[in-house]
Amino acid sequence: MTRIVNTSLMRKIKKHGAGRNLDVSACFNCGNCTAVCPLAADSGGFPRRVIRMAQVGMEQELLASEELWRCYACGECTQTCPRQADPAAFMAAARSYAIAGYDFTGLAALANRSALGNLAVFAVFSAVFSALLLSRMNPGHPNFPLFDFLPGEWIHQIGVALFVVVGLSMFSGIASMTWRIWRQSRSQGATLHFAALPGAVFSALSDALFHRRFQQCEAESDAEVLAAQPWYQRPWLVHASVMGGFLAMLLATTLDFLLKPIGSTVPPWYPMRILGTAGGIVCLYGLSIVLLRRAQGKEHPYKKSSFADWFFPVLLTVTVLTGILSELIVYLPSPTTFGHVVFFAHVVLAMDLVALLPLTKFAHVLYRTLALALFAWRHAPAAAAASVGVEA
Amino acid sequence: MNTHINSDFAPDALVIGAGIAGLQSALDLADQGLQVLLVERQASIGGHMIALSKVYPTLDCASCITTPKMSAVAHHPNITILTNTEVEGIETREEAHHVRLLQKPTYVNFDKCIGCRLCEYACDTEYPDPFEEGLGSVRAIAVPFTNAIPQKAVLNAEVCGTCGTCARVCPTGAIEYDQQPRKLTIRTDAVILASGFNLNALTIKPQFNAQRSRNIISPLMLERLLAPHGPYGRVLRPSDGKMPSSIAFVQCAGSRDESIGVSYCSRVCCMYAIKQAMLLSGALPLADITIYYMDIRAFGKGYEQFFQNAKAMGINFVRGKVARIDPVDGGDLSLRVETTEDAENPLQVRHHDLVVLAQGMIPGWQPAAITPVACASDGFIATPSLVAPTITTAPGIFVAGTAAGPKDIVDTIAEAGAAAMQASQYLHQKHSAILVA
Repeated sequence: MTRIVNTSLMRKIKKHGAGRNLDVSACFNCGNCTAVCPLAADSGGFPRRVIRMAQVGMEQELLASEELWRCYACGECTQTCPRQADPAAFMAAARSYAIAGYDFTGLAALANRSALGNLAVFAVFSAVFSALLLSRMNPGHPNFPLFDFLPGEWIHQIGVALFVVVGLSMFSGIASMTWRIWRQSRSQGATLHFAALPGAVFSALSDALFHRRFQQCEAESDAEVLAAQPWYQRPWLVHASVMGGFLAMLLATTLDFLLKPIGSTVPPWYPMRILGTAGGIVCLYGLSIVLLRRAQGKEHPYKKSSFADWFFPVLLTVTVLTGILSELIVYLPSPTTFGHVVFFAHVVLAMDLVALLPLTKFAHVLYRTLALALFAWRHAPAAAAASVGVEA
Repeated sequence: MNTHINSDFAPDALVIGAGIAGLQSALDLADQGLQVLLVERQASIGGHMIALSKVYPTLDCASCITTPKMSAVAHHPNITILTNTEVEGIETREEAHHVRLLQKPTYVNFDKCIGCRLCEYACDTEYPDPFEEGLGSVRAIAVPFTNAIPQKAVLNAEVCGTCGTCARVCPTGAIEYDQQPRKLTIRTDAVILASGFNLNALTIKPQFNAQRSRNIISPLMLERLLAPHGPYGRVLRPSDGKMPSSIAFVQCAGSRDESIGVSYCSRVCCMYAIKQAMLLSGALPLADITIYYMDIRAFGKGYEQFFQNAKAMGINFVRGKVARIDPVDGGDLSLRVETTEDAENPLQVRHHDLVVLAQGMIPGWQPAAITPVACASDGFIATPSLVAPTITTAPGIFVAGTAAGPKDIVDTIAEAGAAAMQASQYLHQKHSAILVA
């Protein structure tokens, strides 16, 4: 098989790294990171192999490695790396590079490579959504109900259009990743059995939902570090609260969209409202820990933060905060100008969040789950065959 | 051998450290007719080398090389030896070095002691023998080891219960329980620092869990196990005395590792591991021996051939840095390693019943604060000139051997000779300048 070497691959990946001192070129391939990793046990071996791919410019192989997404950034490799080459930060940078690599528009590359690019993409999206919303805004009375100020119908129409565009974009990303991994595994002589697919998808989803590997990652890493953290601040729980809260809000919004008449007012004990509010609070709890840890910058995985590492949680926090504020404002007797501004901001930011999903760090929800599923799928037939062999 | 000196004794040169470097430097200076004072911290001269089993790549017996050198130094008319003596500082003024020494008490009058060992035989207090790396035990009062020089008993006050038995049995009345430390300052024109190395702790990488298993041993312990006159007389593992059947050498376990602050290569571990593996395959012909390495650095004369011989002998070489060692049932150890040359199944967990960690070489002494010499960023004595590697940042103070950086015995002896030559040249220039003046 022909291999195409991208001689500037390492330089490109470094641009995605946190800080200017991602010194992964220092790696001398001793294999310490792979052997110390609590998660590398059941796969081909990461991070070292992925670092090697970057060092020798094997871009196609790098973009086709599920290993990138099997890492949960516990930082054990970075703490023990003999060259202090920071494999964990490299894996994060390579994931960011992969997100850019799976996106054909080039927007992801722009958004992930630099703070300026990230802000530019964000600003353009915000401007587009603002303009769309402003075009149908009722500027009149400050005491207008919120959905009279911004017509609910119009928000829904933009939303549907947005979901279609983002859905297509996500599909193209998924297709790109799947195609690369498929091609790679075929060249390695692997055979895939469709019968094993549902099981693989199910295991990946349950992995992602229940944070199984995330917990395994922490269970085996340094006991001292863990002992210093109370259980409610463990990274997996923090991540679970952000994710769980977000999913609750997403579910509430979707159900609202399907069931609740547009513009109608519901009491605070309306089930979807309770679900959304509870989700928002749980999500904010996780986000506040993430942001605090990143600001302190003391322990893995929060030691080094790229702009993208900051941008996504901050965007999510502001979106949730404005959402909760808008919710309160709905029940005020007369919304003020401030209320309108908050609501406007919330709608724009929520649209930004969706629009940026396939382009930013947010995309990991897509690619990590897909990678876990593909990995499980690729490795399922062998296991099944083995068990059959034992029975026979 | 003169061990009695006062502060008015002014040797031409003072050599700090009586390992193989210090011995060689002292001999090379004394053979030129210069008066040398050799100062040693331990109770015997000989340094690390006298404790080794064999040397690479010739597999010569180490003590057969060192003992004659120790003897030659001890009997040289121009060499004075001070053992049990620490250097507290060097001040340079009036174009001379003033070396402040602290002679620690041995509680034995060396003039009276005849080395008969009656005290040692009578003593009933024992502690882990430092010469045997803690594997055997030694009496509280004892001649440090069989071929120690001076052959004088030394009392370890930290473990002695002052029962008085040794004083009663001593035929010459040499035991002096009231001996005090003695300070003296020696004026000399040239100093050679041959202060040698230490190894960093076995426990320096927490992932290796060395504190949890006695079967994770240091390479110096293995040297003693392999030495013909070692603690057990054969190779047995420390925890239960079992004959090991599967031995792992974990290379770069204390050097080339920035996560523990030792980024440099210790330069000797590859070769001594290969040597020990060869000796082990002689001592334990049925044992599996595996060396886990990152790179084999066989750079010296005859070293590569030595490495190839070891491979041909059936010693397993596995490329990959061991990341984690965990004790398992039966006193064995489980090693996690990525075998980086194995494309199919790189991540492996392997079991061994004895593990040798290649500890890193670190400086044996920190002279920067108490002497005029500067140390480099790695902690070893700085040698700014590439063309004169024994010259330090202080005029008249020279360095030899591992005090200047990790090196093997061959390089150490060559450097010790070079340091002696630089020192004698310095002394000649200085003396002729005085004559001209």
